[in-house]
Amino acid sequence: MSPVIEAEGVGIYFKRNRRRHRRMRDMFRSEAPAIVTPGTVKGTKKSKQRSGGFWALRDVSFSVGPGEAVGLVGANGQGKSTLLKLIAGVLLPDEGGIRVGGGVAPLIEVTGGFEGDLTARDNIWLTAGLHGLSRRQIAERFDEIVDFAEVGDFLDTPFRHFSSGMKVRLGFSVITTLDEPIVLVDEVLAVGDRSFREKCYLRMEEMLSGGRTLFLVSHNENDLRRFCTRGLYLNGGALVADGPLESTLDLYSSDSDLKKTRR
Amino acid sequence: MAGQVVPAARLGTLWESRGILSLLVFRDLKVKYSDSVLGYLWSILDPLALAGVYWFVFTQLMHRQVGEAPYIVFLLCGMLPWQWTSHVVRSSMKALSKDSKLVRSTNLPREIWVLRTVGAKGVEFLLSIPVLIFFATTTHAHPTGHVIYFPLALAIQLVLLTGLGMLLAPISVLYGDVERVVTVLMRLLFYLSPIIYGSQDIESRYGSTVARIYDLNPLAGIFGLYRSAFFPDQLVSWHAAASAAAVSVAIFVLGALTFRRLEGAVLKEI
Repeated sequence: MSPVIEAEGVGIYFKRNRRRHRRMRDMFRSEAPAIVTPGTVKGTKKSKQRSGGFWALRDVSFSVGPGEAVGLVGANGQGKSTLLKLIAGVLLPDEGGIRVGGGVAPLIEVTGGFEGDLTARDNIWLTAGLHGLSRRQIAERFDEIVDFAEVGDFLDTPFRHFSSGMKVRLGFSVITTLDEPIVLVDEVLAVGDRSFREKCYLRMEEMLSGGRTLFLVSHNENDLRRFCTRGLYLNGGALVADGPLESTLDLYSSDSDLKKTRR
Repeated sequence: MAGQVVPAARLGTLWESRGILSLLVFRDLKVKYSDSVLGYLWSILDPLALAGVYWFVFTQLMHRQVGEAPYIVFLLCGMLPWQWTSHVVRSSMKALSKDSKLVRSTNLPREIWVLRTVGAKGVEFLLSIPVLIFFATTTHAHPTGHVIYFPLALAIQLVLLTGLGMLLAPISVLYGDVERVVTVLMRLLFYLSPIIYGSQDIESRYGSTVARIYDLNPLAGIFGLYRSAFFPDQLVSWHAAASAAAVSVAIFVLGALTFRRLEGAVLKEI
């Protein structure tokens, strides 16, 4: 079967300094420095660094087939969320390319699309519309979205008055009603109370059994084991392991144990 | 590969997103007009007040030497499209940063955030036309056959503003000073465009060489076309309209290229 996600030598470069240090002449220069002056190179080729910037991801290649459930592990700041955003198409790679065959339902910053001043009702219409649902589809699914998020009594309350739990519930509910074949999940499962979390798990299992492709970022090994069969391990912006989930998790935990003993 | 889509494919995805574009434009108008009953009045208050001041100064305090009578109609023909221009320029500099969360969480062709600004302000411009008609009726200014140029002027201005928006939106995210510089430039541009005077005044006072240079400002040709609906002499020559169209298309191409070039950097920044 042809892959639904295909990454080839993906790299993305971030500047460490703030924007006011940018000069006008940087404008027409490439974002990522093609040549790194010798002397400022630290470490191996994979962690090329130049003062003022760093490669959040470098030389990352993998491909994911339809229906696969992939867990993404790694310590904080190793590029997990960045990779997810690249797949979602809300960041663009400086090197290489990512081909995504099909729409993406991004459970990343789920509350991002909501407007604080608008009511929950308006927000559902707007966000679902922005993610490509037609008016008819939204009308059909509206009640389901509201029921799942358990916000029925607050439909006409401005979104900014919602508690953080309610916000996440509504976000999760809207995004998971999308029909997109690829689902990206970034840590959202950590939020919400136990009963809602269980509901989220059930819905995700439903989506998986419906043949969706899942990409999950989590620090919770139980969550990863529950959903994923394959694991990717990111370290220092490089993909250091890609294989069955258990062996990836083993490598990850032995790496982090190593760090602990060094300290 | 992502990020290197050919322009034609880009246009295709934009066309597919037109439903979302109208959703955004509609929402902007809803937010603007639902807050108060006076919503509509507020949107025309600014050009009306400005036009009122110039009308008072130039016809009551001083002896008017530029433009044509009825001067209030003459003023509004320039002032209303100017408002569209200046609103688009101002808000396109915030188009990506104001709704950064929306931009970051949806994978839409990013040009949509500029088009949405141009569109929403454009609808406001169209909604302000009845004010012009009201004043034209009360002052007995009669439209001429040139009124058929209105769609042409609208189209050229649409191209120009979309180009300006695509140029300014990413640059102002990356370079903080741009917004202040542009604010000053817009103030200058107000007086360099035929608003309180007409292109005709430039031609008759400074000769045709100066007038041709003056026409490089695309707003000159655009406002001339709008104005010719009531004042046919303001369409000095087709030269002005042609250079307005050419400059607008050039700015559009420059804007589209700049937008594509800086898109990746902007997404990291917001």
